[in-house]
Amino acid sequence: MFEKILIANRGEIAVRVIKTCRRLGVKTVVVYSDADAGSMAVEMADETVHIGPSAASESYLVMDKIVDAVKKTGAEAVHPGFGFLSENSEFAKRLETEGITFIGPNPYAIEAMGDKISSKKLAAEAGVSTVPGHMGLIKDTKEAVKISREIGYPVMIKASAGGGGKGIRVAANDKEVEEGYPAVKAEATNAFGDDRIFIEKFILNPRHVEIQVMGDKHGNAVYLFERECSIQRRNQKVLEEAPSPLLDEATRKKMGEQAVALAKAVNYDSAGTVEFVASGVDKSFYFLEMNTRLQVEHPVTEMITGVDLVEQMLRVAAGEKLALKQKDLKINGWAIESRVYAEDPYRNFLPSIGRLKRFHPTPEGPLGKGTVRVDSGVREGDEISMFYDPMIAKLVTHAATRDEALDTQAAALDRFHIEGIRDNISFCAAVMDEKRFRSGDITTAYIKDEFPDGFHGTPATDFQRTALICTAAFLHGVFTERASMISGRLTAPTPPRQDWVVILGDEYHPIHLEQGLGEATITINGGSKHMLVSDWMPGAHLVEGALDGEPLAVKVADRTEGYELSHRGVRVRALVCTPTMAKFHERLPEKEKPDMSKLIISPMPGLVVSVDVTPGQDVKEGEAVCVVEAMKMQNIIRAEADGTVKAVNVGAGDSVAADEIMIEFA
Amino acid sequence: MQDIIEQLEARRERARLGGGKQRIERQHEKGKLTARERVEALLDEGSFEEYDMFVEHQCADFGMQEQKIPGDGVITGQGTINGRLVYVFSKDFTVFGGSLSKAHAAKIVKVQQMAVRNGAPVIGIFDAGGARIQEGVDSLAGYADIFMENVLSSGVIPQISVIMGPCAGGDVYSPAMTDFIFMVKDTSYMYVTGPDVVKTVTNEDVSHESLGGASVHAKKSGVVDGAFENDIEALVQMRRIFDFLPLSNKERPPERPTFDLPDREEPSLDSLIPANPNSPYDMKELIEKVADEGDFFEISPDFGANIIVGFGRLEGSTVGFVANQPMTLAGVLDIDASRKAARFVRFCDCFNIPIVTFVDVPGFMPGTKQEYGGLIKHGAKLLFAYAEATVPKVTVITRKAYGGAYDVMSSKHLRGDVNYAWPTAEIAVMGAKGAVEIIFRKDLGDPEKIAEHTKMYEDNFANPYVAARKGYIDDVIRPHSTRKRVIKALRSLRNKDVKNPPKKHDNIPL
Repeated sequence: MFEKILIANRGEIAVRVIKTCRRLGVKTVVVYSDADAGSMAVEMADETVHIGPSAASESYLVMDKIVDAVKKTGAEAVHPGFGFLSENSEFAKRLETEGITFIGPNPYAIEAMGDKISSKKLAAEAGVSTVPGHMGLIKDTKEAVKISREIGYPVMIKASAGGGGKGIRVAANDKEVEEGYPAVKAEATNAFGDDRIFIEKFILNPRHVEIQVMGDKHGNAVYLFERECSIQRRNQKVLEEAPSPLLDEATRKKMGEQAVALAKAVNYDSAGTVEFVASGVDKSFYFLEMNTRLQVEHPVTEMITGVDLVEQMLRVAAGEKLALKQKDLKINGWAIESRVYAEDPYRNFLPSIGRLKRFHPTPEGPLGKGTVRVDSGVREGDEISMFYDPMIAKLVTHAATRDEALDTQAAALDRFHIEGIRDNISFCAAVMDEKRFRSGDITTAYIKDEFPDGFHGTPATDFQRTALICTAAFLHGVFTERASMISGRLTAPTPPRQDWVVILGDEYHPIHLEQGLGEATITINGGSKHMLVSDWMPGAHLVEGALDGEPLAVKVADRTEGYELSHRGVRVRALVCTPTMAKFHERLPEKEKPDMSKLIISPMPGLVVSVDVTPGQDVKEGEAVCVVEAMKMQNIIRAEADGTVKAVNVGAGDSVAADEIMIEFA
Repeated sequence: MQDIIEQLEARRERARLGGGKQRIERQHEKGKLTARERVEALLDEGSFEEYDMFVEHQCADFGMQEQKIPGDGVITGQGTINGRLVYVFSKDFTVFGGSLSKAHAAKIVKVQQMAVRNGAPVIGIFDAGGARIQEGVDSLAGYADIFMENVLSSGVIPQISVIMGPCAGGDVYSPAMTDFIFMVKDTSYMYVTGPDVVKTVTNEDVSHESLGGASVHAKKSGVVDGAFENDIEALVQMRRIFDFLPLSNKERPPERPTFDLPDREEPSLDSLIPANPNSPYDMKELIEKVADEGDFFEISPDFGANIIVGFGRLEGSTVGFVANQPMTLAGVLDIDASRKAARFVRFCDCFNIPIVTFVDVPGFMPGTKQEYGGLIKHGAKLLFAYAEATVPKVTVITRKAYGGAYDVMSSKHLRGDVNYAWPTAEIAVMGAKGAVEIIFRKDLGDPEKIAEHTKMYEDNFANPYVAARKGYIDDVIRPHSTRKRVIKALRSLRNKDVKNPPKKHDNIPL
């Protein structure tokens, strides 16, 4: 085993690698950019080397700087983490020539799997199932039908140059090919000036299922079962679980064996992932690509197999023989991971940057019927910068069954508190509660299907309504009692009032409240009676306790008036007032919202890249008016209605704050 | 006998109706509560004791003798907020448009005088059309009587005004002399002369809102200390601020139990100051992490935002926080910030509220706009206020404390009681660049030498230790222990006894 390794990465994965190294007694060197100077990884590492400015292209991606750091510190090997240089065969080769061990696969394997076409060919040769299709030229409609029959329906007829929904048709039978083929051809000619067409199998209900493999330098390879990562947004994974609810034993074995065959074909000697697209209809599966690195979502595999993949990577890189035997590997229970991103789900998941004013991850260890693991590389007070990936933590839960793992995940999400930036926790929690996700009947289009207009919070269920009413009442009871204990009173505090009205959103719920020490009995609408027990105290952002004996966690944020409560995907404002005040509330008409349709406001803090309109210009709905960049992402801002530009308040290169008015319409 | 008692109830009933059902409905349609509902919302349930319910005006001109409504357009009395005594008056727009008659003024003066005598604050709720024109000069006399009481009560009891409808002409000056003014957005406005007169005199076309709405006074003029969405929110917040205030200048700030630990450490404060000395950070985070339970009632958040002022609690007892805000104009002191903070410091000093000051100030704002506007005198207000204040003063310098602005911000030299600095503090006459350009003027043509001098200056002078060596700083503390240290300091100052020389009053540069 190595004595000292260098980690050519940052954030949570650097921390993750350090944890295993510490356990194995391996010393660690962490390289860091300006932005990461005070990071958690830097604090935890045995040695650190500064490698330049914040932009990855000037630090984490510069091979010379990494190699220099290795030489300077005398590290024997480099763990690349994921992203950055992890799948760069040049880097692996460079290390080889410098006599430094790369903790990853050999350069040949990286290269062979790095190219989409060659990897597909290699996979097919190794007996891995690939998507049936016809890449060659197609003469006419008749041939198209023939090819389609060979592939098997349904098929996808696709213009070579197609994209964005144009030049694509799905055909379920001969007749549809006869209609579709000429249509696509004509569309392709007109739209792209390129009439090349190909036909391939159309995968119904596609799901993303991937196999974790592990190989060594002695020709051994095993698979550590699958992960399902179908819950994606803009091709970015959000939730991952292992095993997959889709697979049965036979399919799992077949998929695993094919993955191992491919690994062996390229002498794969590290941790890797073979990605498949699987059909939710018939469990048929087809090779997509192989990722020659540790995956972000590796913890779910670790949770169900009990294998530390980073440890395995270190051991095989050091030349050890793989100690894992296929027959010994077993799936133990179920694990699920939520990627906690710095983004605002209520605003179309726009990235959110800033200082983590509060960062209280769910405590690791047992929770409910499962256990919680948090992989994170940040602490309270750290800055989420625009330079790197917006993922701030991975919340992993493990339990005996899928339902229990999901329950634990939901409970863990309810206890994960972040302030200072926006996060997607409420969205992940909403998915945990969603029926279709629960049933396991998911596809890669799940988010688009279930949240077609984006995420706006989920409506409260009956249970949640009760829970939120009781929580609001409890909070108010504590506050009221405390307020009555102020010095300078004319009389001793009177017994606390018991009749209140909880205004939850726009619903009025009369309640009867008996507040005790650390507990309250709440009767709602003169009907159901509930007991809430909690040791919550003013100032805490999480009300944790039990409602009628069942564990409950509700996040609470103070608002000018009332409390903002969050549970799972529900976020609601709760006011607790006397019946008289409730009447006053009813009397006050709802204020009209200011007309925002005439304004273009910045959806997030960022940099204006370009302004595409000038005052006086007529703009059509949907037309791009400016581009704002944040976190490496260019966001095109579009007009929400037809109109004439009245004023442009920003220019290219300006920094804008969230909600800043950028463009005004007449 | 029985029917005589019943008659009382009937009379009360008539008085409670004010201007009648129709007018009450109109008030509600406008999104406003009635005067009586406001009092109910403000005070503890059932605690209101009304005075002068049957008062009527005495005017006999213009047919007014035919129009009399008991109460005469204002509801007055006393009650409690969380059990503590408060006097209130609430103008009733449904009765003669809330206009001020001699009798109406006398009702207000009565509660003002009772409040001073009994040592309890006054909260006034405004929603009125101005003077009762029919009463002529009597109405003007009535205004002046109220103003006189406002002035005599100033510094004796806290006075708060809440503007919940029109407030124009003579009506604006009573609120103007109180300690805090709050407004309700969209339904209230405040100005000396209305849009019609403005149009005649200056030919400006202006709406009620853009002349004197909450958005104007909370952001541009700084006349009001906060704006709220609606009547209820405003009144609930009045209950909140009331809990921070002592009842009078004879009392200590109120105390209430807290669940927050005095020695709570906040490790994240160790990374609050960014690596780049020119990067901003949010000073509010420091206040919220130091104050009990993160509870902070900010005064004038949208005006002079380069300085933050407001109330919080430490160990359950009220303190006033004053802090430069690097997020806005780098936390520089300008006219608006100086005025805002000076008034707040003086309020705290009047009412025995200890002042905790967090300093990150690069200096005073340069420019003709500031100098023409009289920055010298406005800046001097803050200096004056801090210097004369005899309440406990604890100061923490987090980063920059440059030049005269260092002196101003509750420095040791202005009788700061306990002055701390974070290790990131730079207490100096100015920033390195400026200082080097003056001290080493002869090397200006040589960028290498200048860089060398700058480095030397930064290393030797841009730190807290030069000041600490001279005793201008009592200790350099770790940021994460700020709460603990400030609390310890305040405990030691509980019996502080400092008196200024006897005088009629000082002559602050107004």
